[in-house]
Amino acid sequence: MAEEQKKLKFCINDHRDVLVEILKRLDARSLGVAACVCRLWCSITRNDALWEHLCFRHVSPPPSGVRTVVVALGGYKRLYMVCVKPVLSRLAGAKIGSDGRGTGGGGNGGDSDLTRRVWRRHGAQMSLSLLCVDCYERLGGRLGDASASSLMFLCEPVNF
Amino acid sequence: MNRAYEETARNHQLAGGEGYSYEGRMWEEGRGDGGMDELLAVLGYKVKSSDMADVAQKIEQLEMAMGTVQDDGISHLSCDTIHYNPSDISRWLESMLSELNPSQTFDPNGSFSSIQSTVLGQQPQSSIVSSTVPSRIYEDDSEYDLRVIPGIAACKSADSTSDLQIEGSCKRMKRDSCQISTFPVNSAATAGSVPETTRPLVLVDSQEAGVRLVHALIACAKAVQNDNLQFADALLKQIGLLAVSQAGAMRKVATYFAEALARRIYDIYPQKSSIDPSLSDVLQMHFYETCPCLKFGHVTANQAIMEAFAGSPRVHVIDFSIKQGMQWPALVQALAWRPGGPPAFRLTGIGPRQPDNIDALQQVGWKLAQLADTIGVEFHYRGFVYESLADLEPSVLDIRPSAEETVAVNSVFELHRLLARPGSIEKVLSTVKALRPKIVTIIEQEANHNGPVFLDRFNEALHYYSTMFDSLEGCGLTQPNSQALAMSEVYLGRQICNVVACEGTERVERHETLTQWRARMDSSGFDPVHLGSNAFKQASMLLALFPGCDGYRVEENDGCLMLGWHSRPLISTSAWRLAAG
Repeated sequence: MAEEQKKLKFCINDHRDVLVEILKRLDARSLGVAACVCRLWCSITRNDALWEHLCFRHVSPPPSGVRTVVVALGGYKRLYMVCVKPVLSRLAGAKIGSDGRGTGGGGNGGDSDLTRRVWRRHGAQMSLSLLCVDCYERLGGRLGDASASSLMFLCEPVNF
Repeated sequence: MNRAYEETARNHQLAGGEGYSYEGRMWEEGRGDGGMDELLAVLGYKVKSSDMADVAQKIEQLEMAMGTVQDDGISHLSCDTIHYNPSDISRWLESMLSELNPSQTFDPNGSFSSIQSTVLGQQPQSSIVSSTVPSRIYEDDSEYDLRVIPGIAACKSADSTSDLQIEGSCKRMKRDSCQISTFPVNSAATAGSVPETTRPLVLVDSQEAGVRLVHALIACAKAVQNDNLQFADALLKQIGLLAVSQAGAMRKVATYFAEALARRIYDIYPQKSSIDPSLSDVLQMHFYETCPCLKFGHVTANQAIMEAFAGSPRVHVIDFSIKQGMQWPALVQALAWRPGGPPAFRLTGIGPRQPDNIDALQQVGWKLAQLADTIGVEFHYRGFVYESLADLEPSVLDIRPSAEETVAVNSVFELHRLLARPGSIEKVLSTVKALRPKIVTIIEQEANHNGPVFLDRFNEALHYYSTMFDSLEGCGLTQPNSQALAMSEVYLGRQICNVVACEGTERVERHETLTQWRARMDSSGFDPVHLGSNAFKQASMLLALFPGCDGYRVEENDGCLMLGWHSRPLISTSAWRLAAG
């Protein structure tokens, strides 16, 4: 009995701040997996702060005032799932060169790292403008059949 | 061939000239007379040595035919055809070739084949009938009865000699010709008798039909220009049938151009009043979604406007083409994050009257106000309904002094419409100058569809819209045949119709090239503003987001940015300010 008590001495669920710090370092898929562990973890991963960290992890600190905007537009989780994730994955695959083409060699060596970071920052900003356009579309309008599809180009094509 | 040779040589050595039973029989046969080629005889084929060159040529032709035919076009060769005496390679090749190319081997009347061979004799195989050749054929038939058309795609099946009906696509033609298994070899001799052509075979080739289609379209336009309407009408039927044989973008472009030509010939100009502005808005929305062209324009123009607005506490944007206002959410968001806080943002939207008293402009303003409120940007909106920008007076727009407010003017695909009425563009540009804007952003199609000669306009439009449709198809953005893609095509189709079928004030799609706009803006008192590298980077990144769109290119052209598909520019963005002094 005493041994069991010794084993259970440290339970991560009792230390939520540590848990949050750990979860902050996960990627989106792992966060999804973590959400399935138990109710506590599920509620923590739903916390938008985690997703904010995920969105802007690789870039320099985002401009101030971003948070209010993003929260108003649906939250960081939405921003990540709808915009940031496809944008970053497409940009990573695209290897943007300086000649304005979609493919082509990026920098070499240390340059590519800088290029990647530069593109990630721009990518994050572009995600935000895309989210804005999407929200604008969803505000409802005159056209009855206007489903918000300005972000359709970010969706993966489905093959039947 | 080499291996067969080695094998036979080995067998010869091993068997001492007698060989095994199977090969020996062949060998003896080969050694015997009949003039059979020895090597092929070993493999079991009977080919006369004298025919070798001919057989080799036919093998090559068959390979070409099989390589170029459409997907399931040759499956019937394996199931349905009956091959007689396949060891006789010459005849077998003949039968295969006849099934792939019916017109080559049928010869109901000597006149047809002689016309065909003379036509082929006169021109190299890859060239297409020029407009002079059809007139040679038609000169003795005043009703332009298209009985004889050189080439495959318009050829009648072997069974009907007087029937002009062409049974749909080439594939069906091939199936019908299955019944004709072997044809007399002398037809090859007939074709071969034309001394100039080494390749008398005109293959069923969708690529070639495509080239013929383009030439037919241009010939029809030329006929229309020369007021030769009967001939043009006859060509239209041709075009319709050729278009059906194509697939994808080429077919759609050809169909739209054919329809536009038909409208021009029969004087069915679509009335301006019937063009529903709400419908054109919907179409442009779908075009916005499927093609990066509009998005490119918005992104680059917004960047230029942002740079011009740097440091101003109050900003005012006048949009000559507010439509659904898709350009402005991104600008509102970018303004919200301006270091130093967002300015007060005023937007004036100008658009045409909508039917049913629906106030589309107000709807746009309301949505943008909601968005701006969410984001935290002070926002004011006014909408003005004008049928033509030339009716706009600067005093209406309530312009504040420059010290108080920075003004930007934005026009997406609107200025070219003013060229339909003389004097309009000058009036509008002077109105713009009276607004004292800090920056004027102009997004226009990069093509010259406003030349004085109809045929030149037609050619230009054909190339431009072919590239556009190719880019829509090649982008791989949406599933083929999805609704958004179809609507985008209708959007482009209406432009095609206007460029080709309309004249005078009805022809509003008077696109001009960047060079022409530059000259006009220069002479009207504007100086160019160079779009910076930020705009370029953003545009490149936007293109990178589109899946599989390697074909798109962003190019910088003396301070302006152009979006092109492969080497053909499609859209250009330019920025201007008032000339100093």
